[in-house]
Amino acid sequence: MTPPAATVAEPLQVPLIPPSEHRWADVIHRLEAGGSMLPDTPENLKQIIGIYKAYAVPMDFYWRDLLYIAEKVFLNPLPAFKYFPSQAYLDRPNSYAGEQSQLRIWRGGEKAHPELLEFMAKGETRAMPKLLHHLWHDRINMEFAEACMQAMLWHQGMGGRFNDYLESEAYRANADRAIKAFFRGNPVMLGLYKLFPEMFMEQVKQMSYYANLGLFWEVMAPVFFEMSDIYDEGGFKGVPDAMDFLVNGIFAVAGRPIYHHVYVGEECIEVIPKTEGFTWLYEAALPYVEAVFYRTAPFRGTKSYNAQAYQVPDNQADFHYGILYADVFPVGSAGIPPTLLMQDMLHFLPPYLEEIYLQYKRGEEDQLIQLGITFQRSMYNVTSAVIQALRCALLYPLDDTDPEHLLANRQFFEAQMDRFVRPEARLGDVQTQDYR
Amino acid sequence: MASSLPLLLLLALPSAAALLIPLLASASPARVRNLAALACAGQFVVGLLCWRLAPAELHLAWLPKLKLSLDLGLDGLSLPLVLLTALVSTMAILSAEADHARPRLFHCLLLATNIGVVGSFLSRNALLFLLAFELVLIPATLLVAIWGGKRKAGAAIRYLVYGSVSGLTLLGGVLALAWCNSNGVSFDYAELAKAQLSPSAQAWILALFLLAFGLKLPIVPLHGWQPFTYAEAPIPAVMLLSGVVSKLGAYGLLRFGVGFLPEVWAAWSPWIAAAGAVSAVYGALNAIAQSDIRRLMAYSSLGHMGLLVLSLAAATPLSLQGAVAQTLAHGMIVALLFACVGLIERKTGSSSIPELSGLLNPLRGLPFTMGMLLLALMAAAGIPGLVGFPAELIVFEGSWVVFPRATLICLISSGFTAVYAIRLFNRVGFGRLDNARADWASTRWSERAPAVVLTVLIVACGIWPQALTGWSERATSSLALRTFALPNPMVASQREGTAAVALATRTLPS
Repeated sequence: MTPPAATVAEPLQVPLIPPSEHRWADVIHRLEAGGSMLPDTPENLKQIIGIYKAYAVPMDFYWRDLLYIAEKVFLNPLPAFKYFPSQAYLDRPNSYAGEQSQLRIWRGGEKAHPELLEFMAKGETRAMPKLLHHLWHDRINMEFAEACMQAMLWHQGMGGRFNDYLESEAYRANADRAIKAFFRGNPVMLGLYKLFPEMFMEQVKQMSYYANLGLFWEVMAPVFFEMSDIYDEGGFKGVPDAMDFLVNGIFAVAGRPIYHHVYVGEECIEVIPKTEGFTWLYEAALPYVEAVFYRTAPFRGTKSYNAQAYQVPDNQADFHYGILYADVFPVGSAGIPPTLLMQDMLHFLPPYLEEIYLQYKRGEEDQLIQLGITFQRSMYNVTSAVIQALRCALLYPLDDTDPEHLLANRQFFEAQMDRFVRPEARLGDVQTQDYR
Repeated sequence: MASSLPLLLLLALPSAAALLIPLLASASPARVRNLAALACAGQFVVGLLCWRLAPAELHLAWLPKLKLSLDLGLDGLSLPLVLLTALVSTMAILSAEADHARPRLFHCLLLATNIGVVGSFLSRNALLFLLAFELVLIPATLLVAIWGGKRKAGAAIRYLVYGSVSGLTLLGGVLALAWCNSNGVSFDYAELAKAQLSPSAQAWILALFLLAFGLKLPIVPLHGWQPFTYAEAPIPAVMLLSGVVSKLGAYGLLRFGVGFLPEVWAAWSPWIAAAGAVSAVYGALNAIAQSDIRRLMAYSSLGHMGLLVLSLAAATPLSLQGAVAQTLAHGMIVALLFACVGLIERKTGSSSIPELSGLLNPLRGLPFTMGMLLLALMAAAGIPGLVGFPAELIVFEGSWVVFPRATLICLISSGFTAVYAIRLFNRVGFGRLDNARADWASTRWSERAPAVVLTVLIVACGIWPQALTGWSERATSSLALRTFALPNPMVASQREGTAAVALATRTLPS
């Protein structure tokens, strides 16, 4: 995909609408000028691109394993080896990268990233049986990916038709077919299914979310790889460029089908067929952003979930535990580990990012925290891309000359920024480079 | 034949370093610090040698007209305290920052404090003891006044005033003890132990000693200087003041009160025990209410001094052993506590409890320092396996038979230690580490070393309590005013629970 040129709008001589009086007016004005919530500084650009690359490598594993679990492990009652995807899934070509892809958007190859394969072979220790790597935690932490899926499953109705479909008769019929096929010749499990059908249905719904997230990340991994490559080639001039690349990418694959297939032997059972018309943007990307970025990030130990102390809101919509709000510091006590994702990203940091971390705070000692904060910055940029994409899809161009249209855009941006008024939001922190 | 050279070495090593350091004009602050620490470490080694090979007492005439002579000696009471002083001095000096301002003067004053304290413990002459005791006041005051915190002037003046009153009353007590002795004027300990004094003279002299040493310990209501001084003094000075200098008060009460004035001590002991119990409760409750770690430690120390006074008041063989054990245990614990506080202050710039939180954070906090602080707090709370447990156990067991009510009160106050320890740790260790503040480097091993040494000793002495009591068993038994045959349960029940307490024949130290 061709990198976009810098798109910072030229300042208007006479503003068509008065300045915003919102608490985050500066950020709103920046968004209206085609910028990101993240200030446009060279270091911010370096940080977010570096972390996208470090994120993309484990993500290349996440999406393959998520699909493996959804399609092959499925309802295995003892999924001890669900984090050991078969070679077929490790070799599974990406649908949007590589020569073989029917819709090639990104320039990368279809295979799993070489750094990922190298890490899977040796880890940080040395080559040894897979199981030992797994038990020693010298591996990709798939638990993170599962926690993201669980966040989507738990919050459910966050736009799109996906969740409604899971309650439909058509879905139940397909799921029933898949369950019976999967447990064919297993009277015990079939008997249990007869006794507790809803429990099995719930498990299938969860598997559908596995597929949903796997298909979402199948797109995002090559996006991030390409951004890293473009940056290495000197292609991005600022944070808005990186955001625009994401916006263009979102539109390029917005219509990608979201489905759930289950493979039992050679048979393929379409639990959610592609013909249902679920799309990547509305049934995967937006619910994912809402669930993980805003409401619940699987950053265990970063926030108290003590319901008895009334620290969990009554209203589900008031949840604000996402990465945009997360206190990246591990708190509570010693022993609470930094998040699993941070550990995963640590394996694949580009050298220029490591250099930055060595210059600040405790250098190598607290890289996990520094990269966690970088990740938070980068996710503010991704969220900006989503906000701009929504504005693009639902409202008016930024260079529109009709004040009423500009006011509509303004109201949209202000409504988005209202979500960052609460004190936990880190929007204010990422405005300064001192937050590390 | 035993030599008295080691006794001279105990004083000569720090003195030589104190004389040499001012001449090292071009030496780096770190080198000055290391030299001072080396002198104190050498003192510790000599002390250990004295334990294995008891040195002969030294008697050198100094000012015969004033009956002042350089009489030095070591017995079961003074040897462990000399070792404690050498140990804490070494660790205090090493706890100083490597690039300390005006390092030569700073370390000379620390060494001078050490010389005063060790000189007091070695003295076998009351006038010499007084001189050494007074010597401590000047360098300690200067340490507070020059290197103290924001309110250093007030703290230094307060310390000076209280210290001067302590010194003056001690002077009065020592002179009265010598002059009122119908056997003739003498300041020699052996003579003072056999002094013939009228009951009223004994009472007045003990009152003076209680005031002098009570101010030094300190004990309620004579503690006015302590929280201010501990809050403002530089950390090495606080380690010395709390870990060593305050022990001069305990030693003085034992040597001069229990040793030289046993009858009146026994008669006043219920009141002394009551003062100990009040101190224990007052210190613990105030510690709970503090919002600054240094002040919390100061009141904690005050409470633990209350236990010490209780055990001295009981004056049974076991309680006096407990007093020595508590002196040693508290010296190590409080030194470790302040060493940890010093590290926290150095890194975070604050000892204010509301300003600190999340220091246990494994990546951006001070987890190692907080671990040692936790261990020190646990030791202070008397958790088994650490040095505080055997010391407090002996204190309580030894005092219970004489003053059950006061002991019970002290037991309860000891429980309060856990309250302020948990409160402190919960607020400072746990919670959210503020990213805006958490911009400090982790502690280096060279910085941690003094606290690590103290930590190891606190664990080791907890596992092997003989290290606390073995030194002084014979000396404290000979000083005991009361003896007890542990009651047979059958007999005890017939006596309706009353403890068999008998004033034993007084035995003076040889």
